[in-house]
Amino acid sequence: MSMSLRDKLMGLYSAFVYAFLYVPIIIVIIFSFNESRTLGQFTGFSLKWYQVLLGDKVVWVAFYNSLNVAVITTLVSLFLGTLAAYGMVRLDIGGKGAIDSLLYVPIIIPEIAEALSLLLFYKFSGYDLGWLTVLLGHIAFDISFVYVVVRARLAGFDRSLEEASLTLGANEVQTFLKITLPLSMPGIIAAALIAFTLSFDDFIKTAFTTGPGFQTLPLIIWSQSARGGVGPELNALTTVIMAISMTIAYIYAKLTMEKQ
Amino acid sequence: MSWMESLIDFVRKYKLLVALLVLGPPLIYLAVYFFAPFIITILYSFGFIGRRGVITWELTIKYYQQALRWVYLKVFYNSVILAAITTVGSILMAYPVAYFIAVKAPKKWKNLLVVSVMVPYWVDFLLRTYALMNIFTMMKMMFTYEAVVIGMIYDYLPFMVLPLYANLEKLDKSLLEASYTLGASPFKTFLKVTLPLSKPGIASGTILVFVPAIGEFVVPSMLGGVSVTTIGTLTWDLFLKFHNWWRGAALSILYIAVVLITLIIYMRKVGELEI
Repeated sequence: MSMSLRDKLMGLYSAFVYAFLYVPIIIVIIFSFNESRTLGQFTGFSLKWYQVLLGDKVVWVAFYNSLNVAVITTLVSLFLGTLAAYGMVRLDIGGKGAIDSLLYVPIIIPEIAEALSLLLFYKFSGYDLGWLTVLLGHIAFDISFVYVVVRARLAGFDRSLEEASLTLGANEVQTFLKITLPLSMPGIIAAALIAFTLSFDDFIKTAFTTGPGFQTLPLIIWSQSARGGVGPELNALTTVIMAISMTIAYIYAKLTMEKQ
Repeated sequence: MSWMESLIDFVRKYKLLVALLVLGPPLIYLAVYFFAPFIITILYSFGFIGRRGVITWELTIKYYQQALRWVYLKVFYNSVILAAITTVGSILMAYPVAYFIAVKAPKKWKNLLVVSVMVPYWVDFLLRTYALMNIFTMMKMMFTYEAVVIGMIYDYLPFMVLPLYANLEKLDKSLLEASYTLGASPFKTFLKVTLPLSKPGIASGTILVFVPAIGEFVVPSMLGGVSVTTIGTLTWDLFLKFHNWWRGAALSILYIAVVLITLIIYMRKVGELEI
């Protein structure tokens, strides 16, 4: 079947939209390798801005902080979100509709509203702002995403497999370890990837809940790009963070597409 | 295996306790670090909590009156307009693309096309907006309203493409063929068949774009500078610049009220939200 003119036009339009999505990202990458500082003129390939980054202690500390928060957030929210998903899909209890709505709220409430409420809560409860307050906020947000992804997987697979296992003489614990857990693994891995990216490049919640002396990579981009300050060092830093986030998002997307 | 037997015994005997042990930890965590902060925000907005977190035992609506002053209402209005432009702009860009991926694209490309929209979906706005700053600086377009509008559509576009695609993917193609066979033109088929059937997708996308766009902070702040004020930039300034938490809390509660009302109307009319 060959495409009609109208279909070709639609394909062309789609190509234009994809270009719109990706050209700005490609430009950042290109100019992060630019030798000169002037924007818009590529004078030659150079790695010197990456060398500047490698020698910048502030960047290394921020990188460590981002990674530290993202890894702990992923582990804790994975544990709590999976518990919630398992409980909601498999346990026979009342009030599920209400609990489900509660678990969805963090996804629906705009981030800035959540961020400032956390700040007020920390101030009221006497927390010192810094690593812990950033971490606790990231986890609260990520639990819901883990819940949604893992629940979809748990609800999606054939329950008769578990019943068969029980009928054949395996007990509940064996069935959980040998059937339920392995079958929900793709969902758990996908949820881990999402939890990591959401935390690793988060800006707004981090900005509201951090204190003096605790900086993550997005906060560096924010403070240096304020009032229009674009530059090759910042392009290099953005390229690094985006490369990490986009690679993980790509693996996640691949995983979720495969199950269809 | 006696420990396992006793564990299974326990699971069978105390169902409610098990439910509590499984659902308890995540729900308690959210209660403390998500829902309690909102209650604290409400208490701040009524002046019940004062300076240095001291409880004043007072209830006042003066911070709401301040938040509803004409200057702030104008900001609210501007934010809604910007969010509406963003929503319409992203529907216009996203619909043909979603339709192309779902109905027209060759099968081997389909996954790649969807994945290419999903990847930017998960990257924080700060990074993607910074990416635009290079282009706008070169074009001398920084700190203009146009830059903000383009930036908003750029950031929110994936949030519109994905729900539209999910909806159009489920569209029964034989309905289109039936419409052609019965003599309807492609344009009429689109208006009478495709568009009405894709309404839930448009509605989902609109919710995912419009609601957060009202409170958007990163885009107007980075690309608009001081020239564009929205609920998002105002909230940021009230909290992190002027430390006027009480007025900021009232403003935020009003914003959340708008969000919840929009969502309730949506749930009543369309049904479940697909994310």
